[in-house]
Amino acid sequence: MGIYALQRIDFFRLVFILISQAVTLILVLAIGSLLLVPEFKDVWQNLWSEEMIFSLKLSLITGFISTLLVMVFALPIGYTLSRFHFFGKGFVKTIIDLPVAFPELVLGLCLLLLFGNSFFGRWLESMGINFVFTKQGVVAAQFFTALPYAARIMKSTFDYIDPRMEFVSRSLGYSRFQSFLNVSIPLAKNGILASTVISFARCIGTFGTVLILAGGSYMKTEVLPITLYLNISYGNMGMALTSGIVLMVVSFAAIYVFEKAEANL
Amino acid sequence: MFLEIKDLHINLGEFFLQGVSFDVERGDYLSIIGPTGAGKTILLESIIGFWTPDKGRIIVEGQDLTNEWPEKRRIGIVYQDYALFPHFTVFQNIAYGLKKIEKTGIEKKTRAMAASLHIEHLLHRKPGTLSGGEQQRVALARALVVNPRLLLMDEPFSALDQQTRKQARQILKNALKERGTTVIHITHDLDDAWALANKIAVMKDGKLIQYGTMEEVFHQPATRFIADFVGANILDGCVLQSLDGSCVVNVNGTGLTCRGEARVGQKVKIAIRPENVRVVKNPPPQNFSRNILETTLTSITSEGNICLLHLKSRETFIKVLVTHNALEMHSLKTGDSLYALIGRDTARIALGS
Repeated sequence: MGIYALQRIDFFRLVFILISQAVTLILVLAIGSLLLVPEFKDVWQNLWSEEMIFSLKLSLITGFISTLLVMVFALPIGYTLSRFHFFGKGFVKTIIDLPVAFPELVLGLCLLLLFGNSFFGRWLESMGINFVFTKQGVVAAQFFTALPYAARIMKSTFDYIDPRMEFVSRSLGYSRFQSFLNVSIPLAKNGILASTVISFARCIGTFGTVLILAGGSYMKTEVLPITLYLNISYGNMGMALTSGIVLMVVSFAAIYVFEKAEANL
Repeated sequence: MFLEIKDLHINLGEFFLQGVSFDVERGDYLSIIGPTGAGKTILLESIIGFWTPDKGRIIVEGQDLTNEWPEKRRIGIVYQDYALFPHFTVFQNIAYGLKKIEKTGIEKKTRAMAASLHIEHLLHRKPGTLSGGEQQRVALARALVVNPRLLLMDEPFSALDQQTRKQARQILKNALKERGTTVIHITHDLDDAWALANKIAVMKDGKLIQYGTMEEVFHQPATRFIADFVGANILDGCVLQSLDGSCVVNVNGTGLTCRGEARVGQKVKIAIRPENVRVVKNPPPQNFSRNILETTLTSITSEGNICLLHLKSRETFIKVLVTHNALEMHSLKTGDSLYALIGRDTARIALGS
């Protein structure tokens, strides 16, 4: 009996499960240490500090604006890449996807060069838009970092929606845009929700791009990851840990909202 | 002419159309048959306007629709998998098109349409909870309720079982009879064509290879491919005698009288429908009015409700359809010597060569 039982052990399954559990354990320990190391009293005090309130407020405001902008652009881009065949489609797809693989610092540098002292940057400045070392720059940095993720999710979402439903809608008298609104968008709601939450999480957590384009200026362009970075640099671990915890709570809240909303759809 | 398709060319890479032309009259029911990849679906989607042809014209009621938006064409479509809107109820699916064209009476018309297709009890349900047959009727209701001038159907019965398919054909027939809608229906099932169509088109490799009445295509297939596709027997022969509207053709030493015209000495192919051949065991009288072929039964295959007898007469092979009942009654078995009786009107000269 014992020998037969031994023979039935599926080593493939066992090893894969162990790998998954080991990595999960390390992550749980890492997240747990963020909560266990600091004193609760210090965290509470830091949370109400002027710097933290500024940082949290700026993160949430820029995060919401960037996410909104990301979705406004990701929907048509995802739909275009899924439905239309046009000259240069492969190039567009590669360039839009590029920031996913790009280091954030390099992306920030590229944006700094474009919006800085270039012809385009000077033209934008003459229109009253300045992205360099400003709060608008925070939004721009978050936008370009999160857009590829959102566009990819939206493309996959539209890939799964049968284009013939739009064909049928059009045969029943609705224009392409009306069919998009009446059929494609409602059917893409799960993808839109996932895309929005992931974009928001990416926007809130963007560091490198924001640092280079908007600058890590204390109480000016200071979003939560910048607060963490600045305070680590000063050796102020309490503030750094608090901003880390706030970032983590915001991320968990986003995932929670996503799962709740998904269950209700 | 109601619909004129003129020299339609379209190239979508894997799928293409090459110079497809045909006309459809108002009230016609055209079945398009052909193997997978023949270009049937592209043809429908070009007519409805989802693809713009590289060349050619699509004219409906004298109006050139080639470059018209699909939403302006008033052409309905029912797909193989029905493409129902899963986020809408059955009622909302049916009423969807009506909402675009009417301000009042939407509920009344939707319910009347549902009643005529026997789906009024399903109106509150979502499409995902319906059976294949029910979904098919909802898709049909959604397309018909807006009164399209032309209805296109892309294998609408293919996902249904045999029994449901029969019912669906009858329901469709009744629904169309009331409206006199012109229909183009792609099918792989020749029974659909027999039951519903008055015209038939055969497509292969992006081309229309035969177009005509059911009688013409099934009894006088234009190519051997079509003959095989529609299940006709094709016999090779040489014309011995040409009479008025008929010929005597030498088929491997046997003279067969058939309908059609050809020159004496011309090599021809004769098409015979398997259901138009009778078999008997005893020799018929000398003055018998049908063509007689002395054959041997080489095999019997079952085709659902019926059987196909494979007969051989010298170098000529011929298939005959019989019922299981007839097979048992005459105790037919492989190796039996049989006389195949072929009516002089049912053997037709299909192709001259």
